[in-house]
Parts: sequence; structure tokens; C-alpha cells
Amino acid sequence: MVFSSLLFLYGFLPLCLLCYAACQKIWTRNAVLIVFSLLFYAWGEPTRIKYLLLSALVNYLCGLLIGKTGKEPLRKLALTVSLIFNLGMIVVFKYSGFLIENINAIFGAHIPDPGIVQMIGISFYTFQVMSYVIDVYWEKVEAQVNPFWFLLYVALFPQLIAGPIVRYSTISKEITERTTTLSDLSKGLTRFVIGLAKKVILADQLFRVVDTFLGDNISGLSVLGTWYGIILYSMYIYFDFSGYSDMAIGLGLIFGFHFDENFDHPYLCKDITEFWQRWHISLGSFFRDYLLPVPVFGIRNKYLSLGLVWLCTGIWHGASWNYILWGVYYGAFILLETKIGKKKMRKIPLVLRHIYNKLVIIIGFGIFYFEDVKQLGLFFRNLTFFNPNGFFSVAEQISLYNNLYLILAAILCTFPLLKLPKLIEEKAPVMRAPLAVAGTVVCAVLLVVSSILLVDSTTKAFLYWRF
Amino acid sequence: MNKKEAMERLTAIFRDVFDDDEIVLTETTSAKDIEDWDSLEHINLIAAVEKAFKMRFTMKEVSGMKNVGEMADIVCERAKK
Repeated sequence: MVFSSLLFLYGFLPLCLLCYAACQKIWTRNAVLIVFSLLFYAWGEPTRIKYLLLSALVNYLCGLLIGKTGKEPLRKLALTVSLIFNLGMIVVFKYSGFLIENINAIFGAHIPDPGIVQMIGISFYTFQVMSYVIDVYWEKVEAQVNPFWFLLYVALFPQLIAGPIVRYSTISKEITERTTTLSDLSKGLTRFVIGLAKKVILADQLFRVVDTFLGDNISGLSVLGTWYGIILYSMYIYFDFSGYSDMAIGLGLIFGFHFDENFDHPYLCKDITEFWQRWHISLGSFFRDYLLPVPVFGIRNKYLSLGLVWLCTGIWHGASWNYILWGVYYGAFILLETKIGKKKMRKIPLVLRHIYNKLVIIIGFGIFYFEDVKQLGLFFRNLTFFNPNGFFSVAEQISLYNNLYLILAAILCTFPLLKLPKLIEEKAPVMRAPLAVAGTVVCAVLLVVSSILLVDSTTKAFLYWRF
Repeated sequence: MNKKEAMERLTAIFRDVFDDDEIVLTETTSAKDIEDWDSLEHINLIAAVEKAFKMRFTMKEVSGMKNVGEMADIVCERAKK
């Protein structure tokens, strides 16, 4: 089920909230959340929900064994079983087709493709349970004894299928002790509506334009048309994914859970290293905490670790060579920035740094977008003066003219606008009441506009559902 | 090896890894206090400390070390030289 659908907004969510509010005790509230979370997942994966339950069971048992036994060999065995199971799940349900295709191509084999379609949310919930088991092994958290409370952590519908990758330590206490304060409820609803608006008003509308330019064959696109398409795609992907994260964090707050932030205005970054500290933070911190300390080939070396992390970041995003290239591409720029050093990087004029990182990010999203190698090659050609279709065509001129307000709004919304009311309030406390009223009105308008747009369109899944 | 000695040797290693002779370590010094001490440079730092003290940190320690004091404690406990 998609957050940005009328069924979720006016059916699933109100019903869930009603049942939740009707319960007073924490265990009944948790039961409501578990039932609705499983329903939410079964909506997209009616038959394969059993694998989600199996994953929860295996990792619950491994975590419990690690946490409760004092014997190191047993702890290690349980950790190994859990890691093999989780990585195996990802390989089977995400990469099997890709692996077989490449093995067949390299070795001339004829292994039949089992045709396994990627399971929704597998990359997210599997990473969550891995972080849990490792944290229990490292004694950072205590193992969860109640299997249902563990299932709630794994399956909690706000973050189940497209993140953020929530650490168990972040919500472990809130599983059994939480209250939704009025302030949390208000913040949560606001955040949810803002995320919805980012998705429906900005991302979906931007994608409509992107699709006209980059959707089919791009061989006839002009230089400017290609840049135009990919710049809009870069904005689309930000609003789509950060919109989802906003909705997830907002929903979490409504139910009394405080998830960590997943985005921090990434396009304000001054270099690529900073971009990844602001973009999909929960994935970056997962790799930083659990993969970076792994000695590569038994050797501790920052360059080897850097290579491993960025290779995995690329692979994580999809079973296709362009994602691997995308990861390596970012790894190369981070290596470059490491070589230059922070002090020297800072001496480069800010304007140049912004131009540099935006170019890297935008071209990077081109690599991300084109799974087809031939189209990716055409994309690189089209960006430059090797493009045989000329510098610009009337198509992008008309499109820019027709979508000017959308594009300007999108650019504006990449800035931290939500900090403005707080700043105004600090300088003029008298503005508090008018700002609160204005905030409510804006949210109501955004909700109505989003709903109208949803009535008028077919439901578009979030891009990161694929990962 | 006592902690004071470990701290002195760690200071020399930090100065070498971060190429800054002005680094002065205390037990509470953490990544927040040294600008270049990011997650990537942390790996190099760990490698240099392991080499100097002829010991190995566990992955838990590499990932979870909070400050120099914790690092010195581990070094004191495990250093072979």
C-alpha cells in the first residue's frame, strides 16, 4: 500500500488511528500496530509475507540466543546464522536474476532465471534486523525477549518498506513505554502532510516532465534538453524519497515513536562527502557502523574500506550494473576529496564548490536513472557538444515555460523553509499564534491539494520501494 | 603499560596520522574535537594504533569507541609492546 494513495489516507490510516486510540494499554496498542502493519505489507506482498515473518522469527531467535547465552562460540554461531540468512534473503529475492544473467554471460552457462520478482522493502527491513543482531552481539542493546515486540520493530508499517533504516536502540524503549503527546501528534501530522505534498505536488509532477524527456529513447534530445531532464530528475528523486521519509517520521510521531532523521537538505551540501552526510542518512550510518570497521582481506586500510563501502552502497540500490557504477562513481569523488583534504577543500571558493558538487550529483543521478547501458552512453554523449541534436530545442523551452512555477517551487523547497517560522518566532514572540494558525491553514491546503491531485491520477509508487 | 604512557604514545600517533603537531589529547578527546577525525580517517588511526602497540581492536571497539580514554584503556589491557 502506498502512503500517497486515497486508500491509505482515507481508509487504512484513519481506521488504524481509530483502533489505536480506542486502546489504552500498551500491549493492545502494539497489537493494533502489528495487525495493521502486517495488513499493510500483505497488501503488496500477499503470499510472500511469510518470508517477512520468517525473517523476524530467525532474527528474534538468533538475537535471543546471542543475548542470553554466555558462551562465545554459541554467540558467534547465532550471529553467523543470522548474517547468512539475511544476506541469503537479499541475494535470493533481489539479486538472483542479476547474478544468473551475469554468470551465464561470463561463463557461457545456461542456468535458467527463476524469475523471482524483488520483494518489497527487503533491503530496508533486512538491514534493520541485521543491525539489531549485530548490536545485540556487540552488547550495545539487550535482546528483545517478547517475539511480538520484536515483530513490531521489524514490521512497523511507517518504516517497513522504504526506510528510514531504524536502529533497534532508537525505539527499543518506546516499544513498551510511549505516549503520544499533543505536541508529537501535531508535529507528526504536520510532517506527514508535508511529506505527502512533497511526493504528490512536487515529485509526481516533476516526474511527469522527466518522463517526457527521459522516458523513452533519448537519442533525439538536445544538450539543454538532456540537462533539463536530469536536473528535474535529481529534484524528483529528492522529493520522492525525502517525502516518504517525512511521512514515515510523521507517522512514527503520531504513534509515539521518534525515528532519526533521514535527510538534512542534501542539496545545500558544499562537497560530496557532506552530501552523503545529508542524503539517506540511515543507510550511510549503517555502512559506517557495520561495514567500515570490517578489515578488507584482513587489512585495515581506509582506501580499501572506502572501496568496499561504496561498492556495497551501489549494489544496495539495485541489481543492475549502473547502480554499481553509481556507487563506485561516488566512492571516487569521496576519495578525491579525501586526497585533497578538508582544509584545502575549504580554501576553494564556495561558488566553485557548489558548482562542482551539483554537477557531480546531477550527472550521478543520470547514472542512477539509466539502467540500460546504451541509453546511459547516449546520456553522456547528449550532455556534451558531441550531441548531434544541437544545443537546444523548442521542446525544453515550452516545457520550462509551462512548468516554471513547479520548478521554482521545487528549487525553493530544497532549502530549509520549515526553520523560518521558528526563526520568526524567536525574533518576534508575538507572532507565535498567527504562525500556528498559518501553519495549520497551509497544512490543510496542502492536504486538500494533494488529495485532489490523487483523485485525478493513478497511484505512483515511491521510487525507493524498488530498493 | 600505564594509561599515562599509553596517552603519550597515542598523542604521537594522532599527531602523525592527522599531520598536526599541535594535537593535545585528553581522555575525553573525541572525533568532535579533531576536525579531520572522520569515520574514514578513523580506520587509518585504528590501523596505526594497532601497528604501534602490536594488538588488534575488535569490530565492536572500532565501531563503538567513544573517546581517546576508551582507546587508551583497551590499549593498556591488550598492548604487547
